[in-house]
Amino acid sequence: MFHTALTSADLIFLAKGAGMTILVTAISVFIGTLLGIVFGVLRGQLGPIWFAPVTFVLDIFRSVPLLIQLVLANAFVGMVLRLHISGLTVACMVLSLYTAAYCTEIVRGGIHAVPATTRRAARSLGMSWLQDMRYIVLPLATRIALPSWIGLALGVMKDSALVYVVQVTELLKSTQILITRLQEPLFLLLICGAFYFIISFPLARFGGYLEKRWSND
Amino acid sequence: MKMITLAAALVAATGFAGTAQADKLDDIIASGTLRCAVVLDFPPMGMRDANNEPIGFDVDYCNDLAKALGVKAEIVETPFPERIPALMSGRVDVGVASTSDTLERAKTVGFSVPYFAFEMAVTANEKSGIKSFDDMKGHTVGATAGTFEAIALEKQVQEWGTGEFRPYQTQADVFLALSQGQIDATVSTSTVAMANVKTGNFPGISVVGKAPFDTDYVALFTNRDEYGLINYLNLFVNQQVRTGRYADLYEKWVGGALPSLTVPNAYR
Repeated sequence: MFHTALTSADLIFLAKGAGMTILVTAISVFIGTLLGIVFGVLRGQLGPIWFAPVTFVLDIFRSVPLLIQLVLANAFVGMVLRLHISGLTVACMVLSLYTAAYCTEIVRGGIHAVPATTRRAARSLGMSWLQDMRYIVLPLATRIALPSWIGLALGVMKDSALVYVVQVTELLKSTQILITRLQEPLFLLLICGAFYFIISFPLARFGGYLEKRWSND
Repeated sequence: MKMITLAAALVAATGFAGTAQADKLDDIIASGTLRCAVVLDFPPMGMRDANNEPIGFDVDYCNDLAKALGVKAEIVETPFPERIPALMSGRVDVGVASTSDTLERAKTVGFSVPYFAFEMAVTANEKSGIKSFDDMKGHTVGATAGTFEAIALEKQVQEWGTGEFRPYQTQADVFLALSQGQIDATVSTSTVAMANVKTGNFPGISVVGKAPFDTDYVALFTNRDEYGLINYLNLFVNQQVRTGRYADLYEKWVGGALPSLTVPNAYR
């Protein structure tokens, strides 16, 4: 009946690939979010004109396909800078900036959604700018930005499948290696899809949980 | 004034000489790692074992090269079209990737002398009594449609004027037809022929000899301006043949008659 040449060693191989996917995603989303917050706040403080150069650079990261960014960044590091850095580092750098570009917009939108009257009220109560950001803007903006941020994190996780072009053996690449050897594409892709689901489902649920909890208080 | 210019020129020249980089051979030895581009979906030259570790003729060849250089080997998997881009973007140092040394490619990369040759071999059904290429005259033969050997074989059958040529969709179909006796013989690269005979999926067939079609010579490659490294690679290929390591590897991964790496009546 149902027969496969897949062994437990191959499943461990796939799990290692999944681990790499999680690692790349975690690093990129973490750094990207930090950068995104910095850029998003700066964008609000400096105004669109002074911030235009950064917006331009971030727009490049948003508009050029990720695959091309990865290939070009890798070639740049190897040919122009002549550095021997690992594919994982290149992948994390590119994905972080890619995440940052999107996260900047999310943070900007979140801050923008806090009513100006509320912020003015805070300042007229004698709060400093930092206090206003910390106690008024942060809690309100986070609630608004969270769903988009969860969507971004899930998107980056799936986009991380492209880092195979810089020699990072993540989940999809591991699957392709097994497909080449075992010649069972549909079955292996099914398992690969299941792995992706196992990784992203908890994150999506966690986001849903936070949203629900924060909307009540 | 002239002295100052001269002195300035000297200083500048020394500066340039100082910044001139060590060549790639030195870089590899200094870095302690040799990064080889290897194609891993091309058995028996490159493939993966049950633990998904790279194995094959090219993998062993890269390991030998690293050993000769006294460094660690790193196998970088590159699909066929990615081999030369991987070198150009600095992801690998050397290509050990069954790359035919075409003049077109030599405009971009520098090739060593050939380290392997894909000869065309005749595989026959044992019942047909075919013992050589010429014995195929008058028999029904077949090959994978559209390949180099299929076109050459079909032409040969027409030249003989007797017998029949049948094209098949895949290499596996050809060997299945051969095993079932639908065709009496086929021509394919020796590696493919040996690999299929070895699987045991096709009983009653064996490799009986060479076909007088063009041999596909493949060479190691690196950046074309790295003469130091190319010289080293040439000597390395020579040493592999001289020490019998080439014959050992051929026996281990392919088997059968060892192909010659030199072209008769030509240098290099």
